[in-house]
Amino acid sequence: MGGFKRWLAGALGALVMAVPLALPAQGAGVDLERIRGPKVRDLYLVVVRDPDAAILALERGKLDILGDVTRPSDIRRLSKDPRFSLSMAENFHMAQVGFNLRKFPWNVKELRRAAAMAIPRDRLVRELFSGYSAPLTTFLPPVSPYCDKSAAAPGLDVEGARALLKKAGWTWNASGILVPPGSKTPLPPATILSPTAGVAPTTAELADRIAAALREIGIPVKAEPLDFAAMVQRIDERKFDLYLMAWQLGRDPDSLYSFYHSSMDVRGGYNQTGLKDAVMDGLLESLRYSPDEPAARKAAREVQKALADRLPIIPIYTRYSVAAVSREWKGAVATKASAADNSWSLLSMEPASGREKPLYWALGDEPRTLNPFTASTATDWQVLGLLYDTLLAVSPNDLSDLPWLARSWKVETVAKAGAPKTRLTFSLRGDVVWQDGKPFTAKDVKATLLFLKKHAIPRYFDSVRDIESVTVPDDRTVVVTMKNVSYWHLHSIGGLPLFPAALLDRIRDWRSWQPSRTPLPGKTGLTELYGTGPFVFRESKAGDFVRFSRNERFWLIPR
Amino acid sequence: MPVKGYWTRRLGGAACVVAIVLVANFFLFRLMPGDPVATVLDPRFSPEAKAQLEALYGLDQPLGVQFLLYLRRMATFDFGLSFSTQRPVLDEILERLPNTLALLVPAYLLSVLLGTALGVIAARRRGQLAEKAVLAAGAVSFSFPSFFVQMVLLLLFAYAFPLFPLRGSLSIPPPEGTWAAAADRVWHLALPVLSLVLLGFGGWALTVRNLVVKVMGEDFMILARAKGIGERRLLWGHALRAALPPLLTLFLLSLPGVVSGAVLTETVFSLHGVGRFLLDSVLGQDYPAAGGAFYLLTLITVGSNLLADFLVQLADPRIKTGGEESR
Repeated sequence: MGGFKRWLAGALGALVMAVPLALPAQGAGVDLERIRGPKVRDLYLVVVRDPDAAILALERGKLDILGDVTRPSDIRRLSKDPRFSLSMAENFHMAQVGFNLRKFPWNVKELRRAAAMAIPRDRLVRELFSGYSAPLTTFLPPVSPYCDKSAAAPGLDVEGARALLKKAGWTWNASGILVPPGSKTPLPPATILSPTAGVAPTTAELADRIAAALREIGIPVKAEPLDFAAMVQRIDERKFDLYLMAWQLGRDPDSLYSFYHSSMDVRGGYNQTGLKDAVMDGLLESLRYSPDEPAARKAAREVQKALADRLPIIPIYTRYSVAAVSREWKGAVATKASAADNSWSLLSMEPASGREKPLYWALGDEPRTLNPFTASTATDWQVLGLLYDTLLAVSPNDLSDLPWLARSWKVETVAKAGAPKTRLTFSLRGDVVWQDGKPFTAKDVKATLLFLKKHAIPRYFDSVRDIESVTVPDDRTVVVTMKNVSYWHLHSIGGLPLFPAALLDRIRDWRSWQPSRTPLPGKTGLTELYGTGPFVFRESKAGDFVRFSRNERFWLIPR
Repeated sequence: MPVKGYWTRRLGGAACVVAIVLVANFFLFRLMPGDPVATVLDPRFSPEAKAQLEALYGLDQPLGVQFLLYLRRMATFDFGLSFSTQRPVLDEILERLPNTLALLVPAYLLSVLLGTALGVIAARRRGQLAEKAVLAAGAVSFSFPSFFVQMVLLLLFAYAFPLFPLRGSLSIPPPEGTWAAAADRVWHLALPVLSLVLLGFGGWALTVRNLVVKVMGEDFMILARAKGIGERRLLWGHALRAALPPLLTLFLLSLPGVVSGAVLTETVFSLHGVGRFLLDSVLGQDYPAAGGAFYLLTLITVGSNLLADFLVQLADPRIKTGGEESR
């Protein structure tokens, strides 16, 4: 009977796994050197908040690009429709179970390891996400260039989990509940915090199933769904046993410092599990303050190995990004690390018919603000990212650094006043102009960095806080000296949006500045919302759309 | 004099309600789990950066100072800057208000008119097919969840038979010219308004039918009928008139709920309105925005209440306002 059940589960699983979409093959990259654009003249970012309405709008031809398609039913429906091309990519999303290491029994390593071995990630992902997510055992999402796949949490092995606990002296009472070594009292009931089914139905269901899996090996856990803000507060107050939470991480692995360094177990810090380990702290400091890329890579590997040994969290799954593009367009850029709804696509897409027409790109929410100093949501930056360029770009192929407004760069460790410091030297392109026609120079970069540092703007605070000095030897060179040594300063500074120095001089109150509503003096059709980016902001109809036109001065347009 | 005393008491009571709501508005949001900074979940955002954000929002000030600042803002209708948009809250609300009014005013009026007409017809045709149809339609309209009805309408009339647009309040790109733009706006609002009418008329029809049936059994109606007054005049002139005071009260007291209840409609049809702003403000713990929006809703509620009292007196002169004269 057991055999039949296993066969049935496997057969059903295989059926569900028959997904019509797959990740692009490893190494199937795009030749970025050949991208010249933008080719589209008019671009509308269309606000459609309801996911059902967004699918209908795509099918009715009212949208050309729809990103963040998450529901398996929608993915299946669109993938069967010949009018659309779907792309799937790995993502920096990471769902994990965290333990409260400040409390018994969660501070017992064997118990955490056994818990990790009891959770059937493959089955959960198959049943709950129909294969459009991947089971996760690593401490960084596999898409991360720094992910070490050999440093992983243990996979499913329920018998192994029981054997491990038995070997460590744990026993089970008559009800099958674990009894700690040297004690006669079974473990008290515990809970795993999760968002409510009303807000996140699959996460709530996942928490239920994880709790059931843990009960299988005798850990008396049940799910405790909470309003999200209440859940965050409980975690912040450290009043929890376990929690299930998903994170959207960035390209750099120094988020590990925020999650696991003992100094981050403070109010507002993200060391929620309360890991306090001197060896771990040392490794994390090596990671955060690595002088160069090879050292950073080595430190990242060591941190992940230490995490695999300590298991403060159990990685559960990572979600894929899925985007749909109308086949009336060609040239979309989709890779293993980036679905087609990206800025590279906007540079290279053109109508398949050859007849010029506007491109309609879905915005899943309304931009809250178009002030780049206070903008914080992904939607805000989906809009602003079209206007503001950065010194470095990220390759959609392998997430490596690419020259952008900086033609080249150098990261050095210099001894200044006795202490070693990171010095970044950026050589800028000479063919970039602002959308108002003035040339982009090193003085603009310096003005931006100093403005952000002077005003301690929260969004940029961590990126610029360690700047010691910015010098401009000539119009094409910027030298930024930091107060300490860290390779990640390159990405912090290289990834900042850049603003024209002349405009920054005019801003009296960065907080209430409304650039999209302030016309630029002497420049018809331009507002103070301008940069060097590929598109020029034209108008925003709140709740409906944001309209852009091609920046004819953009440096990637062939002259 | 009794009238003056009554209104003094009513206005005093209304002021107390506003004061209580003002205090609750401030403290309840701060008692809610989490705060606007704690819900920033980004490992690239250090505790020091969070402290900067707290200072930006003014949350680093002592609670007493925050409360006094809040009272001053409410009194002057300067609700401060929204945490999420960093624009004045009043500007945010006023920008959205025309859309919300354009959606809700016609929808509400049409619901009331249709519901009232059907309710009276059902009362007049008691036991007949017409009454059964109105009761069934009313119950269905009253009980269906709005998002379901709206999604079905969207699917039918914007997707399968594309008579109406799928989203928003204007075409993209918008048409040129005033008349074309106005027609475009009406076309975009037609389906959301229709959905609200379908969802709203049922409750009115049932209420009006019940009130009119009750009034029809009153002695004065029997007398009127005995005097030979025609059925039409009896129904629309006497019965409905007698049922008017509770209907007026219901009409005015429903207004604030209608404004806040626009959330789902605005989401499904991607409309830029006050209801969605209110929801986003509460979910995002945007204290100034939520505080300002709830304060205005309170004023609308209290104002509607007072207006209902006033209009009911006009509609039914028998209602006396003095203590010993009232019956």
